[in-house]
Amino acid sequence: MIDPFSFAAGWLQEQVLLPLLYGVGLMQWEEVSFGWALFACYGLAQVGLTFAVCLPLERWRPVEHWPDAKAVWVDVLYTLISRVGLLPLVTFVIFYELQAGLTGVLADHGYVAPTLERLAPGLLGHHLLTFFIYAVVLDFAEYWRHRLSHRFGWWWALHSLHHAQRQMTFWSDDRNHLIDEVIGFVWFMAIGLLIGIPPLQFPLLVLLLRFLESLSHANARVSFGWLGERLLISPRFHRAHHGVLAAGQRSANYGAILPWWDMLFRTADFDRAYVQTGDPGAEEALATGTYFQQQAAGLRRMARMAGWVRAKAG
Amino acid sequence: MRIATLFFLLLTFAARAEPIAIVVNSGDATLSMLDMSGNELRRVPVLREPHHLMLSPDRTELLVGDAGGNEMLFLDPRTGAVRRRVPVADPYQLGFSPDGKWLVVTGLARNQVDVLDAGTMALVHRFPARTMPSHLAYAPDSSVVYVTLQGANQVAAYDLKRQVELWRAEVGQTPAGIIWHEGRLLVANMGSDHFAVVDPTDGRVERRVRTGRGSHQLFLSPDRKTLWVNNRVDGTTVALDPHTFEIRRVYRVPGGPDCIDFAPDGTLWITQRFIQKVGVLDPVSGALRSFPVGRSPHGVFLTANMR
Repeated sequence: MIDPFSFAAGWLQEQVLLPLLYGVGLMQWEEVSFGWALFACYGLAQVGLTFAVCLPLERWRPVEHWPDAKAVWVDVLYTLISRVGLLPLVTFVIFYELQAGLTGVLADHGYVAPTLERLAPGLLGHHLLTFFIYAVVLDFAEYWRHRLSHRFGWWWALHSLHHAQRQMTFWSDDRNHLIDEVIGFVWFMAIGLLIGIPPLQFPLLVLLLRFLESLSHANARVSFGWLGERLLISPRFHRAHHGVLAAGQRSANYGAILPWWDMLFRTADFDRAYVQTGDPGAEEALATGTYFQQQAAGLRRMARMAGWVRAKAG
Repeated sequence: MRIATLFFLLLTFAARAEPIAIVVNSGDATLSMLDMSGNELRRVPVLREPHHLMLSPDRTELLVGDAGGNEMLFLDPRTGAVRRRVPVADPYQLGFSPDGKWLVVTGLARNQVDVLDAGTMALVHRFPARTMPSHLAYAPDSSVVYVTLQGANQVAAYDLKRQVELWRAEVGQTPAGIIWHEGRLLVANMGSDHFAVVDPTDGRVERRVRTGRGSHQLFLSPDRKTLWVNNRVDGTTVALDPHTFEIRRVYRVPGGPDCIDFAPDGTLWITQRFIQKVGVLDPVSGALRSFPVGRSPHGVFLTANMR
């Protein structure tokens, strides 16, 4: 059976991207463009699924009511750029080039990056089990990336763009500073060099995980119950991380999919429920500015936190 | 006695193994095994991103390069069963020299051309090859291997006896497929609409033969009476006279036609990269039947050709 995402990506590739690449003399990127087409089609499906599930949830059991939701629209733009548009294209090309170059240098020195399946050959052919183990390992890495992004002042300044939103909804998951996104990709690539990362081998499961991440940001009174809260991160659990009291370099509930790492490293807070979100220390542009105003404000804050601005003034 | 019986049964099974088609699905890291009617029998998982496959000189093993997984798989060419896996850096395209001495592996992502001892799989020499070394062809006496450099619009020639680069020459936009043919190199320029006829002594382009947009791969039929070219952008497969290069017929093969293998019944098995299918083209009637396989099917091999 032909899966509909690959069908759509194939159509996009054959009818739009190939003639375009041919026309501008960039045919050497035709395989990368097909990868991006797949990425974009799955991204569209992610957005559609999230919208179909989360919007009714937010309407049914909202945590907060706002007189208007103007600040949400920029998050919609972040989501479309991140999951469908330019960002996957750029990161796909950069990631491909960087990873190939880096692994090439390592291979020249006799090091071929291992993979989980090579370390445990029994995993080959067991897609669900393999994906589960990769998901757990990558979620662990994501916990530490996120926790460190709160720890260092300059990094927090960038990440605070994500936290500045006072009207947090399921659209807010992709609200990130571009430099923060780049750091995330470098982090992801480093993990790839250690254990390998299966590129688009499990697209439907990745779609499900991204859905869970979006759901955790929803403006909805949704809890998974005592046990469920300790198995998967719920909107209730993640909202505590976005609470005004948790903004900054001392926070809680850093996990993305699994709350296990917060429980293990004693950063879990299951008590705070449905708090008000936002970062009281952030300048207004980070919360309600346009896309470019937010990006600029993030840079300014990073410069201040890193001491670059003072150094220039002196 | 039991072991002898089992051995006999295994031999009988191997001898009676039905011919199958093996399709390399680069997008979902699997190999599809199909019967010759196009029904998928099973899928074999590989590591990350396999692209091409090649029969060993003694015809006892089928090698599949998993470029993303940095390993070479060795399959039973009759059944498709995986026998062993050997770590090899970025094996995108591979080819044994006609004398069986060398195995040359191009690393498209890593800009390198590796020359391996075909017997031991030991790396003999690595040529840095910027950028995107893609397909390869040998001189009939195995003295030189020619590699297309997709990102540099060039072909590079490497002397295998002295392990030195002989020349590099511009041949056209995004060269991909390359074959040795009647004392010349034929190079399909994917970023253009033709293949170039190239002098193997210095890389000079003698002639350009228009086939269609996205000219990607060239194949000579087993009877050497037809030259086939796949055009990636136009979605066509073109049959040409192998001596005059006159086009005899153009077949519509949608979905980015890529690799071809020739079945004993005269049909062509063609991977259709972007629509997850392998097409079976009857060159007489022009009918194309396509069968579902995995994502981004690339290399194809028919075990019937082992007989």
